[in-house]
Amino acid sequence: MIGDSTLHFIEYELQAIALAWMAMIYLIKIWQLATLKMPWDTAEQKGSTSRGILQSYGAIFMPWSMESSRTHFWRWLEFGTYHVGALVAIVNTFTYPFAPDFMAWPVRLVFAVLIAPSVLVGFLKLFQRITKPELRMISTPDDYFSLAAMQAFLFLAVMALLTNAPVWRMWYFLVTAFFLFYVPFSKISHYIYFFFARFIVGTRYGVKGVIPQGKA
Amino acid sequence: MATNNVQIASQELSKRLNRMLGVSATNLCTHCGWCIEACHVYQSTKDPAKSPVAKAERVRKVLKRENDWLSKAFPWWTGAKDLTEADLDDWLHAAFRDCTLCERCVVNCPMGVETPAILATARGALTAVGKTPEILDDLADIAVSREESLDSYRDFFKKHVKNFEKQVQEKLKNPNARIPVEEEADILYVPLSGVHTIVPPAIIFNAAGASWTLSMFEASNYAFFMGDTARMKQIAERILKEAERLKVKEIAVTECGHAYGVLRWEAPKWFGDKYKFRVRSVLEIYDEYLSKGLIKLDASKTSESVTYHDPCNVGRKGGVFEEPRRVLKASAADFREMLPGKAENYCCGGGSGLVACEEWRDERLTYGKVKADQIRATGAKKVVTACDNCLHQIMELGEHYDLDITVSNVSQQVVESMVVE
Repeated sequence: MIGDSTLHFIEYELQAIALAWMAMIYLIKIWQLATLKMPWDTAEQKGSTSRGILQSYGAIFMPWSMESSRTHFWRWLEFGTYHVGALVAIVNTFTYPFAPDFMAWPVRLVFAVLIAPSVLVGFLKLFQRITKPELRMISTPDDYFSLAAMQAFLFLAVMALLTNAPVWRMWYFLVTAFFLFYVPFSKISHYIYFFFARFIVGTRYGVKGVIPQGKA
Repeated sequence: MATNNVQIASQELSKRLNRMLGVSATNLCTHCGWCIEACHVYQSTKDPAKSPVAKAERVRKVLKRENDWLSKAFPWWTGAKDLTEADLDDWLHAAFRDCTLCERCVVNCPMGVETPAILATARGALTAVGKTPEILDDLADIAVSREESLDSYRDFFKKHVKNFEKQVQEKLKNPNARIPVEEEADILYVPLSGVHTIVPPAIIFNAAGASWTLSMFEASNYAFFMGDTARMKQIAERILKEAERLKVKEIAVTECGHAYGVLRWEAPKWFGDKYKFRVRSVLEIYDEYLSKGLIKLDASKTSESVTYHDPCNVGRKGGVFEEPRRVLKASAADFREMLPGKAENYCCGGGSGLVACEEWRDERLTYGKVKADQIRATGAKKVVTACDNCLHQIMELGEHYDLDITVSNVSQQVVESMVVE
């Protein structure tokens, strides 16, 4: 039996501490990156920097824009499904404790339906990482652990949403707190680097007029 | 115990760490594998160790060990490792032989991982310890030495160019057509060493009535392939100084992919606003002449079907896509697109200096299989490209894969279809 005060601590105080930790680590990492020199293009522009950046950020939402998603539509769909699920599960860690009135059954059901497919995709990703030689070759313990931990996080999110039972909520928020402590150090932090990388790529190709460019 | 080479290479890596590399060499790559099939080397060999991510990972492991907190504390967890002498030998193949820095993996990465930047950094570290293909080093030396012995070379060069002038005059039926060398003009044209990069452009400049002069130097910059910062700047700057001395308004770079990249995009980063000339590829200038009616082309003069190979440094890394197409469509009635093309074009397999490395000829021809398949699929009998490295590689691919093609640069194609009045 989970006491109300225990659950409250896990859902509020522990999350706040973990979030503060994550924010602090990210700020330090961003500061470290910002102190590195950046060889921006200073030549006369041939294209548009802003359009390049826009295209760079938008590329992942436009499966037709990259050959790697255009010719592997199902892989793109898996990618999208997985990340939509992860996003909803993260949003849920805020709405559950801070907007309890909003988290009525229909909303919880919608959230669970959005997250559940990502659990299945997660298993598929894990299976592919183990069975495909080209992925196995580049995989590290952090890759396997991050995938497995995400599976636990997503599965517990679904169970907490469907049952609203204190025990599932407790485990869901304990795993969430663990994630907030661990993620800034692991490969899962790619979502932070993504914004920097796409900006750099967009700027670089935008200046030169490489993107947005038509395909031949 | 780290060897001297390892220490020097490690220092070089630290020195070269910038924000782009800092982002790409830590946790940005999720090892999703989307880049794998984008690579012509992987496509041609199906060797997982030659995929972009696998090649980058060799270097990223070391960069992470130095720069990533988790990798510093628990390297086995993230696959990080300390640099060893064996790694340097491995990098030589991964960075110089198995990657042509074409950036096709970058445009196919959902995250924006700059794998070529990682491998170019490895090239720089390898060069710092003398582990670099000898021919690239020699070619960079030759370029540097030409500047050092310029006075004794000048007369020899001008005499040879004078002989080429006759070909220009005959083609244009104009005894006044010239190849001016080191004269004050609006355009400084920077060729390669071959006559094929001097005579056809000279014919076009004369036909267009341009105010131009020929550079004493070659555009190519093999130090750039090596990531040899000091020499690549030196090789580039001698041209910029010449342009300043001749008071030109613009530098026109010959059909050489990396030379265009160096002078158009890299040099301003190196020298700031010290030099203020406009830099364009001759392709852009031909396109302008065509659109202004300064040159006239007759598409019916080209009987065979023509396709265009986008050199990576001119296209994906340079942004010049439409200009050569407009010129070629005006010069050939049967122009066929090579698919995929433009920003998604495949490298010819000989880029970033690989075509010069005779010891890796077999691998280079194998890596060119995707390009050979692309050419064959067009059904075109003539392949036109705008880079000398690509030109040589495609000529060899033609023989190796029995493609039954002729290969030309854009300048030659323009001259062949030019209407001389």
